[in-house]
Amino acid sequence: MLRFVPLTFKNLLRNRRRTILTVASITMSLLLVGVLLSVYAAFYFRGGTEEEALRLIVRHRVSLAMELPQYYENRIRDVDGVETLTKFSWFGGKYKDNRPEEFFARFGVDPEQVFKVLSEVSIPEDQYQAWLRDRQGIAIGSSVVNRTGLKLGDRFTLVGDIYPIDLDVVVRAIFEGPEDNNSFFHWKYFEESLPENRRGEVGTFYIRVRSPDDVPRVAQAIDDMFRNSPQPTKTETERAFQLSFVSQMGNVKLFLLSIAGAVVFTILLVSGNTVAMSVRERIQEIGVLKTLGFTSSTVLSMIIGEAVLIAFVGGVLGTALTYLVTGLATEMLVGFFEGLIMPWWGVFFCLGVALLIGLISSIVPAIIAARTRVTDALRHAG
Amino acid sequence: MSEETGQGEQAVELRGVVKEYRRDEFSVLALNNVDLDIPRNDFLALMGPSGSGKSTMLHLIAGIDRPTSGRLTVLGDDIGGMGEKELAAWRSENIGYIFQTFNLIPVLTALENVELPLLLTRLSKKQRLENAKTALDIVGLSDRLDHYPRQLSGGQEQRVAIARAIVTDPAIILADEPTGDLDAASAKEALNALALLNEQHGKTIVIVTHDPHAARYARKTRYLEKGDLLPEGQLPEDWFATTAPT
Repeated sequence: MLRFVPLTFKNLLRNRRRTILTVASITMSLLLVGVLLSVYAAFYFRGGTEEEALRLIVRHRVSLAMELPQYYENRIRDVDGVETLTKFSWFGGKYKDNRPEEFFARFGVDPEQVFKVLSEVSIPEDQYQAWLRDRQGIAIGSSVVNRTGLKLGDRFTLVGDIYPIDLDVVVRAIFEGPEDNNSFFHWKYFEESLPENRRGEVGTFYIRVRSPDDVPRVAQAIDDMFRNSPQPTKTETERAFQLSFVSQMGNVKLFLLSIAGAVVFTILLVSGNTVAMSVRERIQEIGVLKTLGFTSSTVLSMIIGEAVLIAFVGGVLGTALTYLVTGLATEMLVGFFEGLIMPWWGVFFCLGVALLIGLISSIVPAIIAARTRVTDALRHAG
Repeated sequence: MSEETGQGEQAVELRGVVKEYRRDEFSVLALNNVDLDIPRNDFLALMGPSGSGKSTMLHLIAGIDRPTSGRLTVLGDDIGGMGEKELAAWRSENIGYIFQTFNLIPVLTALENVELPLLLTRLSKKQRLENAKTALDIVGLSDRLDHYPRQLSGGQEQRVAIARAIVTDPAIILADEPTGDLDAASAKEALNALALLNEQHGKTIVIVTHDPHAARYARKTRYLEKGDLLPEGQLPEDWFATTAPT
């Protein structure tokens, strides 16, 4: 069959515009499928790091918007298996303005504990010490530095929106690691800035447990401890915590798969129509080939081969573009959407879908062409 | 209908061949109980009015259509009983076919068009190209190897088609109105090429034509009328009224 490959290539170049447009439509469709797949994988398949596996997050059982009493901290610390923990309160607020590039997450934390819990973060020791000493100090991630241009020693004000306070802070440390779109300031400074009636509450607690085996037991123990209190807790892994945000958007899984399915189905119809059109135009030539001695199965293979080749090229381009787009998106959405990279199995999935598109879209026109009687095909030529 | 007795080894033998086409509720008798022998190395012209069954007979001999009944033997093979795959392989080996409209593949060069039938053989790429060049040389087109059909004149296109028909060295060459789309000069070129193949290379040639000038290149002319093969020497009724020789 390999000797027919050059003929297949030549046939593809017969109507270059149509071939390019078909490849482009498959490329764009598979780009969309690839991005959706990457989003899906980022939501549901991204494996956590070893450090993530040691972390638990305690929040109010009812809603993330409701806070927990500060005194829970000591009781949680006493639970067997808890190595350390830090208060982790979302401040929100505004830095300069609301432009996306000015956005970074701001949390009130326990400076002595936070990098023990987020142990994969690296921070220069001198800067860390400077941050510990300055109660107005703020530690910012390197991604924040890159986007905002902030540097050590810069002073700025975080204007409160959830809380009725503004926080004047000084950049004392710059850290690197998976949380580098965040900024951390002293929870105590935040607490003391609040009015009396808003004090004594914490958004969440981030816990580091001794071993991954302790995770289910510790989570159960904490939730059991506060089950009958006015502020019951929900303790979950970092991954489950992130997924809870996703689930707030509805049935994301079904949504993503539905769109991807619709895209694939649509491109299947478009591609099928293109192949059918191409075959119709060449019925005469198919008759000639058969007269020369080409068998129906050879004709069938050549037509399917052309369609599969077009789809495969579209698939390769679509997959490559997906890498490019998800890479750019990861840069741009840093902090909002971590890990938006096409998984390795996504590459095979997309290429497999491309091959299937080529195969399924061409099978009917190819069978019709192969079955066409030579005399009918030649008569078609006029 | 005509009875013929074989003279020596026959290239083609038709015995009681009937071909009936069915289109919806209509049925058309294209060939009616035809008997015909075509000796090896013969050059036969089949003539007759439109719809007389000339092309049908050519299709049957080429093995691209099957008789409704009767026996059809070509080069000693009963091709009526062959399966599709077997028939395709047989065709590739034994038949060279030339169309009125040349039917070259537009995306292939002259050389690639001629190489096309050789893709079905076990020849290496080098051998295929050598054979294709030789075939183009025979028809006088060795200087047009890399030209695409659109870059050739009608006569040159038909000569490429002839080269494609002979490249596998088939015993029989069938030509369906080979000069129908050509001007007089180009028609002469094509017919000379066919005559050369018959005389110098011993090919059995059957052409279907409306053109009496083209028929003159053949050693023998047979006429068909409404599906009947007329006896040798007999012309269809009102033949001269419907044919205007130039």
